[in-house]
Amino acid sequence: MVTVAEPTAGQVAGRRLRSARGIVLVLLCVVVVGVILAALKPSRKPDDLDPESPKPGGTRALAEILKGRGVGFEVAHSVSTAAPRAGTGTIMVVTRPERLTRSDLDRLGGTSGDLLLVEPGRDTLTALAPGVEQDGPTFLPQADPQCALQGATLAGTASFGESETYTVPSGVTACYPESGKPRLVQYQVANRMVTVLGSARPLTNGHLTEEGNAALAMNLVGARSQVIWLIPDVQHASGDQTGDRTLSDLLPRGVKLFFLGLMVAIVPVALWRGRRLGPVVAEALPVVVRSAETVTGRSRLYRAHRARGRAAEALRAGTRDRIVPLLGLPRTVAQILPAQDPGAVREVVLAVAARTDHDERTIAAALYGLDPGQAAQSWPTGQGDQLDPGGGEPVDDAGLLALADLLDDLERQVRQS
Amino acid sequence: MAVTGRLGLLTLVAAFVPLLVPNGAVLLGLWGLLLLGVVVDLLLAGNVRALRFHREGDTRVRLGEVANAGLVVENTGKRRVKAVLRDVWPPSAGVSPRTATINVPAGERRRIDQTFTPMRRGDREAVKVVVRSVGPLGLAARQLSRPAPRTLRVLPAFPSRRHLPSRLARLRELTGLHSTMIRGQGTEFDSLREYVVGDDVRSIDWRATARRNDVFVRTWRPERDRRLYLVLDTGRTSAGRVGDIPRLDCSMDAALLLGALASRAGDRVDLLAYDRTVRARCENASRTGLLSQMVEAMAPLEPALIESDAAGMVSAVMSRVRRRSLIVLLTELNPAAFEEGLLPLLPGLTSRHLVMIAAVSDPLVDEMAAARGDLAAVYDAAAAERARADRRRLTAELRSYGVEVVDAPPDRIAPALADAYLALKAAGRL
Repeated sequence: MVTVAEPTAGQVAGRRLRSARGIVLVLLCVVVVGVILAALKPSRKPDDLDPESPKPGGTRALAEILKGRGVGFEVAHSVSTAAPRAGTGTIMVVTRPERLTRSDLDRLGGTSGDLLLVEPGRDTLTALAPGVEQDGPTFLPQADPQCALQGATLAGTASFGESETYTVPSGVTACYPESGKPRLVQYQVANRMVTVLGSARPLTNGHLTEEGNAALAMNLVGARSQVIWLIPDVQHASGDQTGDRTLSDLLPRGVKLFFLGLMVAIVPVALWRGRRLGPVVAEALPVVVRSAETVTGRSRLYRAHRARGRAAEALRAGTRDRIVPLLGLPRTVAQILPAQDPGAVREVVLAVAARTDHDERTIAAALYGLDPGQAAQSWPTGQGDQLDPGGGEPVDDAGLLALADLLDDLERQVRQS
Repeated sequence: MAVTGRLGLLTLVAAFVPLLVPNGAVLLGLWGLLLLGVVVDLLLAGNVRALRFHREGDTRVRLGEVANAGLVVENTGKRRVKAVLRDVWPPSAGVSPRTATINVPAGERRRIDQTFTPMRRGDREAVKVVVRSVGPLGLAARQLSRPAPRTLRVLPAFPSRRHLPSRLARLRELTGLHSTMIRGQGTEFDSLREYVVGDDVRSIDWRATARRNDVFVRTWRPERDRRLYLVLDTGRTSAGRVGDIPRLDCSMDAALLLGALASRAGDRVDLLAYDRTVRARCENASRTGLLSQMVEAMAPLEPALIESDAAGMVSAVMSRVRRRSLIVLLTELNPAAFEEGLLPLLPGLTSRHLVMIAAVSDPLVDEMAAARGDLAAVYDAAAAERARADRRRLTAELRSYGVEVVDAPPDRIAPALADAYLALKAAGRL
């Protein structure tokens, strides 16, 4: 005899793992791609560094403080509005420089007045702060000034969070260094003071109160009597030289032809799938309705209305119909109710009692629904008493179930006697 | 005409070419090549228009059996035709194979063997024959659909014919033709024959014995040449399913058994199917042809979802049947329908004819009546008891009119009806 070895739990687990390998792999890929996408998502929100925004990333607090101190504060949403206002005695705070185009940068380079560049990119640095170059981010949140810049030394330690660091040419003021690379750079470019700030955090509502941030921001931004806060809008930033070009101008010719080919390929594929080998044949189907549908429907009606009385009477009548011929009585006796002929009923009940181990009262209650109280008066003594029907409705569902079982038991005992 | 998946695939491949060679002329050239291929295919594909179709084989099949048939494809063209062929039938005809490949040389014919396994009774019409011949390049095909009419008539299954031998044996006992040579029961004098040992002495005809030198016995036989009129109710109540078959099919089965038995017994059998109008009729059939004629008449019958017109049915019967007959009404004992329809008309019918009502009861109701266990089952049982009580009351009422009632579940209705007929015959009540 060959017995098949039961697989061990390890084998079973291994088999399940192997069968689920594909699913696990796909799920893993989804998770990895999700994490990468989340990491790539820009942490900037549209209204960051906006002087109107009261959110943690906004700079409304700083703007209000400056206004309260009597500093002139103007907000410009494009270079074209900001550039004419700049002049000697003004400082232009250039935020979100990634929105600036090359022509914007050229135009800014032509203005006079001081500049404060907040988190500038490579292009911005090349155009407005020549000589200063990005040198990777640092993640140490706090730093000491360690420089001679008065605004920085007065402010003391500041909280930068994640910040860009810079390599600088010799002779410029470099503050808040991290292993020699400063976060804040200030130097003279063509008769104006240009300040490069590696992190926007000291200016924002959310972090203004940390360490010396407020003082640093006030000292840097409020150094002149007039502040022009440039926060370029995206639509203004999109340059006018690419405005008329559509997607089709930008796509290579081969790709366009490829899409054309795909569209044309739809036609034969549709023709291939659309042409059947002969028609679909419709056929009249016969109606399918169970013959016992009405009986089932009546049963549901009984149940929905808790018609225990009717149900009990139907069960009793059925049992009487089957029992009476077994007792040697004419079949018509089964239909006689106590109200019509108490004598016949008495005969049936006594005959059943003689063949079963139930007493007359129980049988009368079961077969005819006679009230046990009334039955008690009538049985076993007393001849020809008027027997009332009624009182036969089971009081609850359990009563109906018990009645059905009792009737079954009576029928079985009569059959076996 | 039809194109193939290969053409679609090649067009799709052609779409990728510009990614490598970004030149519109190349793409146009490829399309032109494909178009040329399509034209060549269409020219060289088999000439499906030259095909002729002929059918042969069974046109009648009993439900549950398999019909064998053939589709002969004749090529009248000058070239060989290779093609895929689909013979289109309604799904319930159960045709197999659904598609076939054919390869017919010029001027020759080929036969496709088909089998039909129909799922339902009735007439099935062939819809069309569709041929598709793909060209040598496999890019395009010629396709043609052409009618090839044929009707397959699916006859009732008549499963109860297995009861026929035992009922015929009973019939022979009745007529005295049985091998045991017992004294025939019946009321009609048949003939005199010589006494053999074992005959009932009570049947000795002393008068005839006195005239000859031998002892003669009388033989009796039941009445012959009586008339039976079977009426199938095809109204809404006949659509209800008992088990998995419509009540009408059970009734047909019972009618077929009764017809077969009665025709052997020498009685004449007519059939009428009626709901609000005459649906089928089988009258004045010869004894030998009766069964096939009944089956033919029954084959296309379908239950109509309308209330039967009892008055119309009675008048149709009365106008057709002059002599006293046994009228067998195969219907359903539905108290509501009976009380409004047939009951008031019964006295007119029973005064001139002997009426028998055969009804198929639903075994599911008996199952429900025996159900116990939970509340739903007990309510089911109560409803079933109520339905059975209604049925009993109706039966009693019908019997009080002198109507014979046969009420049996579907597997026993046919033999029960046959037995009821034999009992009437034995009692000489026909």
